[in-house]
Amino acid sequence: MTDWKFTARQLVRNPLSLLGIIIIVIFVFIAIFAPLIAPTPESHQQRPYMIPRDGYRAQPEPPSEDHIFGTTQGQYDIFYGVIWGTRSAFRVGLVVIGIVVVIGILLGSLAGYFGGIVDEIIMRITDVFLAFPALILAMAIVAALGPSLNTVIIALTVVSWPSYARLIRGDILQVREEDYIEASRGLGASSARVILRHALPNAIYPTLIMASLDIGAVVLSAAALSFLGLGAPEGYADWGQLTSFARNWIVGPPGDPLKYWYAVTIPGLFILFFVLGWNLLGDAFRDIFDPRLARR
Amino acid sequence: MFSPTQRAMLYVRDAKQLADLPAVIERYGLDQPFVVQYGTWLGQVFTGNLGYSKVVSQPVSDAIIQFLPATLELAIFATPLIILLGILLGTTAAAHKDRPLDHGTRVAAILGWSLPTFWLGLMLLMIFYGFLRGFLPPGRLSVQIDLLVNAAPFIRYTHINTIDAILNLDGPVFLDALRHLVLPVVTLSVVNVAFIMRLMRSSMLESLGKGYILTARAKGLAERVVVNKHARRNALIPVITVSGYVFAALANGVVITETIFNFKGIGWWAWQSAINLDISSVLGFALFNAVLFVLVNLVVDVLYTRVDPRVRLGQGVQ
Amino acid sequence: MKDLIRIRDLSVRFYTYEGVVHAIDDLDLDIRQGETLGIVGETGSGKSMTALAILRLVPYPGKIESGSIVFCDRDSGGEVELLKLREDRMRAIRGNKISMVFQEPGAALNPVYTIGDQISEVFLLHRRQELGRRARERVDNLLNDGNGFGAGLKRPFWHWQSRIYDKIAEEPHALEPRLLSHIPLFRRLLWRLKDEASLLTVDMLKDVEIPDAARVAAEYPHELSGGMKQRAVIAMALACSPELLIADEPTTSLDVTIQAQMLELFRRIKADKGASVLFVTHNLGVASEVCDRVAVMYAGRLCEVCTVEELFLHPLHPYTRALLDAVPMPGKELQTIPGALADALNPPPGCRFHPRCPSATPLCQQERPKLKAVAKDHMVACYLF
Repeated sequence: MTDWKFTARQLVRNPLSLLGIIIIVIFVFIAIFAPLIAPTPESHQQRPYMIPRDGYRAQPEPPSEDHIFGTTQGQYDIFYGVIWGTRSAFRVGLVVIGIVVVIGILLGSLAGYFGGIVDEIIMRITDVFLAFPALILAMAIVAALGPSLNTVIIALTVVSWPSYARLIRGDILQVREEDYIEASRGLGASSARVILRHALPNAIYPTLIMASLDIGAVVLSAAALSFLGLGAPEGYADWGQLTSFARNWIVGPPGDPLKYWYAVTIPGLFILFFVLGWNLLGDAFRDIFDPRLARR
Repeated sequence: MFSPTQRAMLYVRDAKQLADLPAVIERYGLDQPFVVQYGTWLGQVFTGNLGYSKVVSQPVSDAIIQFLPATLELAIFATPLIILLGILLGTTAAAHKDRPLDHGTRVAAILGWSLPTFWLGLMLLMIFYGFLRGFLPPGRLSVQIDLLVNAAPFIRYTHINTIDAILNLDGPVFLDALRHLVLPVVTLSVVNVAFIMRLMRSSMLESLGKGYILTARAKGLAERVVVNKHARRNALIPVITVSGYVFAALANGVVITETIFNFKGIGWWAWQSAINLDISSVLGFALFNAVLFVLVNLVVDVLYTRVDPRVRLGQGVQ
Repeated sequence: MKDLIRIRDLSVRFYTYEGVVHAIDDLDLDIRQGETLGIVGETGSGKSMTALAILRLVPYPGKIESGSIVFCDRDSGGEVELLKLREDRMRAIRGNKISMVFQEPGAALNPVYTIGDQISEVFLLHRRQELGRRARERVDNLLNDGNGFGAGLKRPFWHWQSRIYDKIAEEPHALEPRLLSHIPLFRRLLWRLKDEASLLTVDMLKDVEIPDAARVAAEYPHELSGGMKQRAVIAMALACSPELLIADEPTTSLDVTIQAQMLELFRRIKADKGASVLFVTHNLGVASEVCDRVAVMYAGRLCEVCTVEELFLHPLHPYTRALLDAVPMPGKELQTIPGALADALNPPPGCRFHPRCPSATPLCQQERPKLKAVAKDHMVACYLF
């Protein structure tokens, strides 16, 4: 397992990937300690993910003693929203990617191992899904099922799995042709064993790259859907949702056009940094696992 | 999933129609099994009937035709920008590998594709429209120009504002349309430029490592010629393959961008439909996109054979 | 015989992640006019690096640390220090006066351009004046006796072309034609140059015995066989009649029958063109077929330099003898050289070969033996002599 040690060492040496790791760790910290960082008031104990409101006025309030990041339209506390929104982001990202990787490995392995008609069927199905631009298909699914964060998760899962199935299948097909597989089988190993012990471990690397980059992409898509009103319900602690509140308040009164900057900028920055962290990590993985780079 | 009654309710406009509900459900087969409904819909699609868009009170196919020019306008400006800028930046990054310019563009690329498109759009609006007092406004045209454009003697050839302005030799309209295009096009492009740039860079690096580059240098060619003539042509091949996916990314971006900038194209229409649960429209939009995507990939595949002489249509592996 | 290339104290080092590798260590070598010099050695001996160093094409992370490579230009008669030359002057030499053929012809050719295009490129680069002159002659001929259809309309165009080509004939990179070539519509005006280059290209392909040369010129690399590709690469290298042709293992990737043809081609080139050839190979048999003299390298240093006959009749250096012994022969037991190749990062002190040498003495470990003449035209770097 010196491979992993080498990988870990490379990750830490590269300043960009180190930054990515630090960012992710900070977000994990925020997510875990959300109740401590932004305590839920009494009235909301039953539904901690609904952002507490301080009144019903439409106009957003700037950052103050009571509201560190200010409030949005309808007086939702931005600070509470972005802190608890971290949990929502992780939830969406990890659940979607988790399920998608499992489905991908399963279907991809089946397609690669059996080949023939099984492979054809699975590939045609992925073709169908891949013919639709992701966000649009997700939009259609959410519209059909009714907007909520859970349907967003379902929609994004449906949209993302084909790429992973293809990736794993491709890797297995590639490995199947390698000489050492023939050697293994010459020694009596069964196909299943060959796939499990040789093909899959090698397929992990590109999958890891894709998965870490995708967590960012999934969270971005989820935020976009929520922003468009097709995701989390109004007042839910979700970054995209929070940003949608700012739509009517982008431009302030003529004398002070940037007056409501915090309503737009702050939730957006949280999304940006979260995705940035994962992208930096994924990019670093890509550099490390690049087969063209001489290893030693 | 919605019940048949709920779905029929979407189309009800006043209380009187409530009485007709059972008849409507019966007529449109809203209580049929899912597969049957799908079959019916598919059958209708092949006759050209994509359903009715409640949101804009037109048949879906008409709605698509009506809103398409605006989106096409965005695509016409964004696509060359993305491709050219992406290729240029990628080549530069590869040529300056591991030096400040490379690192700089790499960071810019990662930032670029970490940006939430909608947030970028909003921020740009805030700065260029709000802070700079309406310098680059949302929408397709300003109110006065809009009136001009929809009245004689201005002839609407294509409904694409910039092209129509050129055809009508109308300077002010052209400039106004352009002004409204800047922000949406930039918003659309940023993410995609980042993606193409990274791909071009790695493709160039791979190309520069090949034997024919050493040969080219040994022939006495200047480095610039080696990079531009020999390396780049080979490096472009994977990038072309990927352009189909860039189209898909554009299609995604268009929905958000048009929504934010109130740019009434098919993306905007799709969003309105989705929010109002106008299923026919959303389905029609998704189908339209899928068909377009397949066509674009077909074109790309053919283009690919023109660029790479090793690949010819209809042949197996040589 | 006069010298063509004089290499003195050449050192090339590679700065890798794990340490510094001395790819070439204080090398002294001469290449004479009209001779075919072979450099023989195992992988890692530094032979390819020597070839690349002459053209200053040593790849990163390698660097030519020190030394001098003097090129005695036959045409101009002057001597040039290649390692100190300005880059643009070096480029004028590459592909023109000194050119190189590489091991894998498939990798050496760019898959997206035709063979003809790639060879013409050399003519367009180094023989521009000649091409301009020829193009102008053709246009002048058209002007003089062209009475064909539409000639009247084309005349002014021809006059203009004649003027442009004249300019190129005088000054290959004159401003006006260069500016024009950047404007898409006017780029076509230079097609006559390409045409002339194509004619020369086809001649070149015929020279290297490629059948149906005109058709081959229009084909892409992947459409040719290995032997044909290598011939095309050789044609590319010989296009401008270089004074030195460097061939880096040109026959290694070809099968044996093609190899024989290729060696025959090299022999003919030697006879016809009078160019010197630096032939890098690990195969002693091949070296014996084409070379006049041979230099044996081990771990970045020269062991022995002598004529081909001397090498086979009276090999002196223990490494050379071991190499010859290792050639498989029917009836003879297979001999190998004991030990492993010198570690590039931590080479043995003194003589690099001493750990594997049957005649090693304590002195061999301490100091590096210098290359010295032992007989006429026979130099060895060994304490035995």
